[in-house]
Amino acid sequence: MKLQLKKSGGFALSEVMVSTAVFSAVSMGLLMGFTSLERNFTATADFATNHADEMRISDYLALDLRRALSVQAAQNDTTILIPAYYDNAGNPQTPALDGRGGVVYGAIGSSVRVRYYLSGSTIYRQQDSAAPITVAMNVKDFVFNVTDLGKVVTTRITFNPTFMAGGASAAATAATAFYNTTLLRNSRTDIASSVY
Amino acid sequence: MQLAHHSRAGGSVLVWTMLVMVILSLLAVEVLRAVSGRFQVGVQAATWQEALLGAESGVDLAVVELRKSLYPAPNGAWQDWTTVPGNGVLSHGLTTVPNAGLAGSPMNIEVNVDAPAQLKDPATGWQYYRIRTLGSLPLSGPPRVSYNKEDNRLRKLTLLNQRFIDGLFTSETNDAHAARRIEAIIRPLGSFDQAIMSVGVLDLNNQNIVIDSYDSRDPLKSTNALYPYNDRNADGTLKRQENGNIATNGSILDAGGAHVYGDVSTNSGTATGVANVTGEQRTDFYQDPIPIGAPTWTSINPAPSTVTNNTTLTASATKGAASSRYVLRAIDLSGPQTLTLAGNANGSQTYIEIYVTGDISLTGNAQLTVAPGVSATIYFKGDVDIAGNGLVNTNNQPGDLLFYGIQPDTGQNPYVKLGGNGAITAAVYAPGHDVTVNGGGSDGHVFGSAVGKTVTMTGVTNLHYDEALSSGGLINNYKIVSWFEDTR
Repeated sequence: MKLQLKKSGGFALSEVMVSTAVFSAVSMGLLMGFTSLERNFTATADFATNHADEMRISDYLALDLRRALSVQAAQNDTTILIPAYYDNAGNPQTPALDGRGGVVYGAIGSSVRVRYYLSGSTIYRQQDSAAPITVAMNVKDFVFNVTDLGKVVTTRITFNPTFMAGGASAAATAATAFYNTTLLRNSRTDIASSVY
Repeated sequence: MQLAHHSRAGGSVLVWTMLVMVILSLLAVEVLRAVSGRFQVGVQAATWQEALLGAESGVDLAVVELRKSLYPAPNGAWQDWTTVPGNGVLSHGLTTVPNAGLAGSPMNIEVNVDAPAQLKDPATGWQYYRIRTLGSLPLSGPPRVSYNKEDNRLRKLTLLNQRFIDGLFTSETNDAHAARRIEAIIRPLGSFDQAIMSVGVLDLNNQNIVIDSYDSRDPLKSTNALYPYNDRNADGTLKRQENGNIATNGSILDAGGAHVYGDVSTNSGTATGVANVTGEQRTDFYQDPIPIGAPTWTSINPAPSTVTNNTTLTASATKGAASSRYVLRAIDLSGPQTLTLAGNANGSQTYIEIYVTGDISLTGNAQLTVAPGVSATIYFKGDVDIAGNGLVNTNNQPGDLLFYGIQPDTGQNPYVKLGGNGAITAAVYAPGHDVTVNGGGSDGHVFGSAVGKTVTMTGVTNLHYDEALSSGGLINNYKIVSWFEDTR
């Protein structure tokens, strides 16, 4: 009985080495799989977050462009003038005729300057001289372009996806482009032709 | 012993199984958490976008009612609204579109329209309207904020307490919803908003026509309130303008190689002969001209009842005065006969309105003369045929001689023919009539505007649109002049 117990309770060196090798290989595979999964998950989550940021930046720009009186477009720095709809207390003003067939809020010629710009890794929206508010954070690789076509304005926003360890290719960045085309509802004050 | 041995092995498997399940469950929870949060953002963003569609639809609904109000009565305008809008009087309308949103949620479109006194143009008497709309949709899913505060700042969703507390809209409640609010100001448009507009075919007949514009109100765009020809301003710019737009609400427009200093537009149609057009060529034009109903004057000047010989009709300093309103069966003059629309001897501003229930015919050298200071408006039901130098507008302002064609009965095809040598200074709005304008050879000039069922120009070499016409005459349409989304 003792001899039998010793025989079944131990392993030969070769058995241990083989099992260790198998265990190591499986563990390594699992580790690599989990690592890859984790990186993929992070990249996907990052992509989704960036896409939500794109959508928000686009919505912000479209919101102000719809009510714009004029647009000064540049890459990562766009200024939009909108009607001075609110008074100093933040309440809507009563509209008045401007004597030229149009309507004005506040004094004739008045407007509110809204500027969107990228600074560091944050995109801000600043209204006149008020403190800028954050539109999107951790977006230093974002590029937003506003193209002024007169009656409509298009926006294009891209970022660098992080699926590749070596950085995003130009094609991969281009594939993240988020487009929006906005019809300006108001007659523009900075060009001759009007919207309607 | 063997049973105990097997039991320990089974327990070990159970522990491992449980451990794996816990790990997988944690992974699933993490994935679900990450995905559901973003799904929620996506749903909220989509609902927020749809709310804007609702708010903008509200503006459209109000403009439709305003346009209805321009048609001859009964026109059904403001029928399902609380009242007719006025100064300090809100007309309120609420439309619910079922199954418009995600998960079959309804869209509420709420509109308030009023006509503030400060939005009445003192120069024209035209009333502008203020339209305030709210588009809202309920939010599906749990009423929770986005994990990103920038999203919350942008979309300002109502989760527990409503955003707007001014009580302007009844559909603003504390229920979770996305709402967007727009204020638009609507401006009336005159009957003469284009140099030429036709309901159907617009044909310039390849006559080397020149169409441009000027503005008799603006000294920089006119000379002594007249067409400036080649006059220039001090800075060297030409006074004449490039707003001589021509358009058809139909699909066929033959510019005939005319030099059009303005835009050429069709309603999804084809414009030909446009080589000399300086402005845009558009295919998105739509304007259904408002038909003109017969005047419903309760009091008129009863004599004469028809004009067949030399006649003088007297204008009044009071616009709409019964003494200067005439209803004539016809105007039928020939040879040297003249119909004079006389005003005050000193040429001060006077007004006259004439409704011709039949035809207007001036042949030979017959003339219709508008005396100095008189602003004449002539409504007509039948045909108009004015030849030779038939129209003499001594004010030289097209706004002082306006022709309005009453909408013909079904099956009738009345026409307007204006012709002759020299200049024609008048504006014609007859969307139920075929309009033909003859300018009078190589030196002919037409100052004004023409609107017809079809418009054909023959022999006309110059048509100069006075932009002042767009701010006068009958209101034919409304357009948005100010648009603002209230993002409080």
